[in-house]
Amino acid sequence: MEEEEQVIGDFNRWRQRPELAEAVAAIKALTAVIQRSQASTMMGLEIELKNASEMLKAWDRSSISLSAGCDLFMRYVTRTSALEYEDINAGKSRLIERGERFGDISLKARETIALLGQDFVQDGCCILVHGSSRVVLALLKLAANNGKNFTVIVTEGGPKKTGMEVSKKLSAAGIPVTVIVDSAVAYTMDRVDMVLVGADGVVESGGIINVIGTFQVALIAHSMKRPFYVAAESFKFARLYPLDQQDLSISTGQEESSNPARDYTPPHYLTLLFTDLGVLTPSAVSDELIQLYL
Amino acid sequence: MPDLQAAVDDFVIKLKRRQVEGSLATAKSTVLLLRQVVSHQRIPSSGPASSLIDAVKSVGSRLIAANPMELAVGNMVRRVLHIIREEEATIVAAQVGVTPVSDSDDDADVHGVPGLSAVALAAANRTALRAPSLHNLLESLPTSAGANVEPVPESDTKSRCKSSDKNSKSWKLKHGVIDAIGLLLGEIENYHSEISEQALEHIHQKQVILTLGRSRSLLHFFREAKKKRSFQVFVAEGAPRYQGHKFAKELAAMELQTTVITDSAVFALISRVNMVIVGAHAVMANGGIVAPVGMHMVALAARRHAVPFVVLTGLHKLCPLYPHNPSVVLNELKSPSQVLDFGEMSDCLDGTDGSPVHVVNPMFDYVPPELISLFITDSGGHNPSYVYRLVAEIYSPEDH
Repeated sequence: MEEEEQVIGDFNRWRQRPELAEAVAAIKALTAVIQRSQASTMMGLEIELKNASEMLKAWDRSSISLSAGCDLFMRYVTRTSALEYEDINAGKSRLIERGERFGDISLKARETIALLGQDFVQDGCCILVHGSSRVVLALLKLAANNGKNFTVIVTEGGPKKTGMEVSKKLSAAGIPVTVIVDSAVAYTMDRVDMVLVGADGVVESGGIINVIGTFQVALIAHSMKRPFYVAAESFKFARLYPLDQQDLSISTGQEESSNPARDYTPPHYLTLLFTDLGVLTPSAVSDELIQLYL
Repeated sequence: MPDLQAAVDDFVIKLKRRQVEGSLATAKSTVLLLRQVVSHQRIPSSGPASSLIDAVKSVGSRLIAANPMELAVGNMVRRVLHIIREEEATIVAAQVGVTPVSDSDDDADVHGVPGLSAVALAAANRTALRAPSLHNLLESLPTSAGANVEPVPESDTKSRCKSSDKNSKSWKLKHGVIDAIGLLLGEIENYHSEISEQALEHIHQKQVILTLGRSRSLLHFFREAKKKRSFQVFVAEGAPRYQGHKFAKELAAMELQTTVITDSAVFALISRVNMVIVGAHAVMANGGIVAPVGMHMVALAARRHAVPFVVLTGLHKLCPLYPHNPSVVLNELKSPSQVLDFGEMSDCLDGTDGSPVHVVNPMFDYVPPELISLFITDSGGHNPSYVYRLVAEIYSPEDH
């Protein structure tokens, strides 16, 4: 179907830019769908959007931020159709405006989070980073640019060794970096002042889904009383409630129980979440989720 | 106006010299001063709320700078700002068709001013993503399509046709705000009685309660409970200010069985205690508290022996900020003469014989939310993880 190709084509074109999050690319593609739409009623437009959203979600079933971003866009945009419009064009322009605003907020989300989170980086502190997150990188770069002196310890992130890329980018920004193997986290934790990670998704309980090993690091940080901070954009807030690690593979539909790519960290182990909606405690996340989805 | 200026300067000096001490007194004086500011402020017909907000903000930032440790000042300034925004919103809701000023203020700020504070940006994001409220519905009306980015000309043209409406609106706003500030003042003054009403629910017959230092709300709390329960109290003296001694005298005057212990004895005796109840200097947005020095130690001892750690606090002590680096940023170092008498160690203090001996006398301790079992406030009992909700109810995120 050509519509499908167009949507996926748009999506892939936006994804070419490496700085853009997957969900933001999806949001831009969905806004383009509204612009192209030939529907003559609001219901027709909504159905087109829903189909496009389903196509994008099917493209990569395992990406939680992609499906959460699509869901949030649908909720945010179609909420407007509750109001009556005299003609479809006024309604369409309103929807496009809201779609673009949502896209802008999501695009700037990283900067907002960096601004909020860099207050928590003190001079002379040592930060442990796990996983490869562009939000975390932006936060640390901003703190360094604002003249804060701190050191970073990056876990190797096996088996794909993503930590090496992260360490290269950090040292390019002039931040002293040390890379450690994943098993050395407990050994180094007493030298560390705080732990900072990104998230693939933030779930209803206030917990996070992130690259495998995050739960382990959180357990160690908690037992050694180190603050564990998460930097995540608001479009990653998903309507999921995993009760244990197995629930995760069920909801994302992956068969990887022997070699999982992600794990779930319960809210009990998180100290604070830095989001573009503000600094939140894990218990505040469900409040924000309700506000976003209702 | 000159009277007002003199009153503000006077208060600023008092704050700088720490002549006003204690969160209750500071909160009351701040609110009274801000009420004066609001009533003296001339309100233009366009943008009444923003002129009030600016006036309060300028006075408020001076007050906060005078004593950054006294968080109650900042709290009260933010409360008043929140009151102004709320009054504005209720008046707008009653008069449909007038462009809401505060909403367009936020949008104009976000688009126009670079380097805006991160929290204000986050607040703007929140309002943008929320469910359509009355504001959003109003801004969707076709006539005010361009209203978001240019608030002033729009409301000027409207005001020419509805000038009398606008004037009454600003009058209503001002008096609404002054009334609400009066309510706030009453709330602050009465928080002791609100808290003590809950005393009978928490203190049971023949209980042993431990506390550290002195707290006025705790005094009222015990007085209320004493009417129907018999219990005894262990008071840790709270070195180096020894407020615990004063507190023990007050409790004994109420005919409560009181025992004074040193701070170091807390861990030894905590296993015989049913509950720890304390007051706090301030409550942070994550649920942690700033309390007199030694409190963290008591909280750890209580956690170790599974003794509930209860904190009494008024809502005026609730601060919407997060403790970034609690041990350093939120602490004030008092004179070492409270620890060592003058002349006691003067030969080692100035370094004439080898390296000098330093004396550090911090005033406060930070207790993280994991160690606190319950907050008893004038709005009832709450979990530390609920504090974010209270913050959201009484403060506007734009003012952080």
